[in-house]
Amino acid sequence: MPQQEKLQQKAKEILLEKKADVVIGYGKVETGNIGAVFITDPERTGELVWNNLCTTNLSVYLKRKEIKKLGKPCIIVKGCDAKALAVLEIENQIDRSAMTVIGVECFGVQDRCEPQYKCASCNVQLPPHCDFVIERDTKQSAPQGSRYEKLEMLDNMDSKERFEYWKQELSRCIKCYACRQNCPMCYCDVCVVDKNRPIRIDTSATLKGNFAWNILRAFHLAGRCVGCGACSAACPAGIDLDLLNLTLAKASEENFGYIAGVQRNVEPLVGTFSPDDKEEFIR
Amino acid sequence: MSQIISRKTIEQLIGKLQSEGGHAAAPVAAGKRYFFRPLQKAEQLVLDGKIMPVNSVKEFFFPPHEVICRYQYEGKELQITDAEPFEKEQIIFGARPCDAASLPILDKIFAWDYQDRFYQQRRENTTVVTLACQQPDNSCFCTSVGLSPDTTSGADAELLELGNDLYEVRCYTEKGKKLFEGLTEESVKTGKTAAPPEIRFDMERVSKYLSEHFDDSIYSTTSLRCVGCGACTYICPTCHCFDIVDEGGAAKGCRVKNWDTCQFAMFTLHASGHNPRGEQAVRQRNRVQHKFAIYPSKFGAVLCTGCGNCTRECSASLGIRPVLELIDKKAES
Repeated sequence: MPQQEKLQQKAKEILLEKKADVVIGYGKVETGNIGAVFITDPERTGELVWNNLCTTNLSVYLKRKEIKKLGKPCIIVKGCDAKALAVLEIENQIDRSAMTVIGVECFGVQDRCEPQYKCASCNVQLPPHCDFVIERDTKQSAPQGSRYEKLEMLDNMDSKERFEYWKQELSRCIKCYACRQNCPMCYCDVCVVDKNRPIRIDTSATLKGNFAWNILRAFHLAGRCVGCGACSAACPAGIDLDLLNLTLAKASEENFGYIAGVQRNVEPLVGTFSPDDKEEFIR
Repeated sequence: MSQIISRKTIEQLIGKLQSEGGHAAAPVAAGKRYFFRPLQKAEQLVLDGKIMPVNSVKEFFFPPHEVICRYQYEGKELQITDAEPFEKEQIIFGARPCDAASLPILDKIFAWDYQDRFYQQRRENTTVVTLACQQPDNSCFCTSVGLSPDTTSGADAELLELGNDLYEVRCYTEKGKKLFEGLTEESVKTGKTAAPPEIRFDMERVSKYLSEHFDDSIYSTTSLRCVGCGACTYICPTCHCFDIVDEGGAAKGCRVKNWDTCQFAMFTLHASGHNPRGEQAVRQRNRVQHKFAIYPSKFGAVLCTGCGNCTRECSASLGIRPVLELIDKKAES
């Protein structure tokens, strides 16, 4: 049976058994593109779509109060999205016992007609940490790329060139916060950039304000970003925000052996204290 | 007979403008996408009627960030200095006709209850040269809001591609004529514009329905997949909300005008914590009502040019067009 059909059937079953009130999945929306759909009627699960255009990370909807109102969720995830759920779980943002997770086996998705960067080094074709996994009948070999390959471009620059690169890129930022809104990890009730008594981060879309915002966001994602690429895909200014997050992900891996989202039962990297920490200032 | 110009002559024109201290802006490539940006060099200019730059040229009249005044304490004396409006000459090349069409719409806003000298000065100093639309895409809906690919509203002059880096020039205003004076040659060739995209909804019906159904229930479903970023409004040629913020310290700083959007959760948040637009559904209603009912009731036209930017760039495949189509269906039934 085609994978999409199996997915539809499973979703229907879950709604019928009342394990969930709403299925957060992908569907063909009015624009003709693939977008998020929220299905509450078991008879409408045939609208669920699964193909390589299902790029967005649906776990971002778990934080939206409008979606929470729809009741107990059943969410459809790819491997990369499942990693995001693992981080949300260890940060106490979701209650896994109050939701159902359907993973779909994935061999890569497209972003603007091109394979998304993360897919070239993906090692989670079969999503981890799921209640159900919908496999594909025909398999493909796992990609062999390196997760940090893209960073070589930055590594080959000296600090002055790197600064020029970021100046050029961030000059296009318009502070629309599509990066934040599309990031499953950006779940703060009030984002630091929205705090205005006093203002902590310039709200201005100037080079100073844009550096402050984008670097701050990258730091807040250190040891938490799973590399789903939703920020880069959403950025209307075409800034490759992945590069900032990957830099910190690489630092987390190299210095602490920590890769966000791989395990469900670990403490968060930032936010835990260990007497073995090598830094003196913390003692 | 038509008037034609070569790309080389346009580049020379830009070079001359820049050497005299003027600014030129046009679509330029960044990665695999195009953006209206100030030109560093004339060669960067991309004149291709098939491309859809992400942003709108509105930012050359109403920038994302603008200093209004500066303040400074000297002892106990407060000194306030008004910021000078932008005085340089500016030429925009290659604006999409649907993008330029927003300018007469914005003119009404910035000269309504308050004369915004910053915007007005930029309008006076700027010449807008559009490039004829060659290929509407899936997101386009200019014909649904009463415009078409050959609209000339807001354009001082228009370029139409003839191939081989040649363009037909059509001048619509004195500014446009002055810009190209002595630079064009006569020719028998004439440029073409794309065929109009299909009409997606009945604008009159939508506007009427909206003005009679403020508190419609439709938004609670149409807004569900919106993630609440401001991309649609910031790249919209007609959205014009701004916030006034003080930046700097108590002793010295400036008061600035920054873009704002009705799509943020912070929009209309009261100091008490109450927010009359506390959910995405009512924020979406705000945007739709403003564009298709409130602005028309004040100024007699819709606050939308059908450029499709919002739908094209929406990370959730939403934007305003699908919402209008659904409202039209509801109004029809």
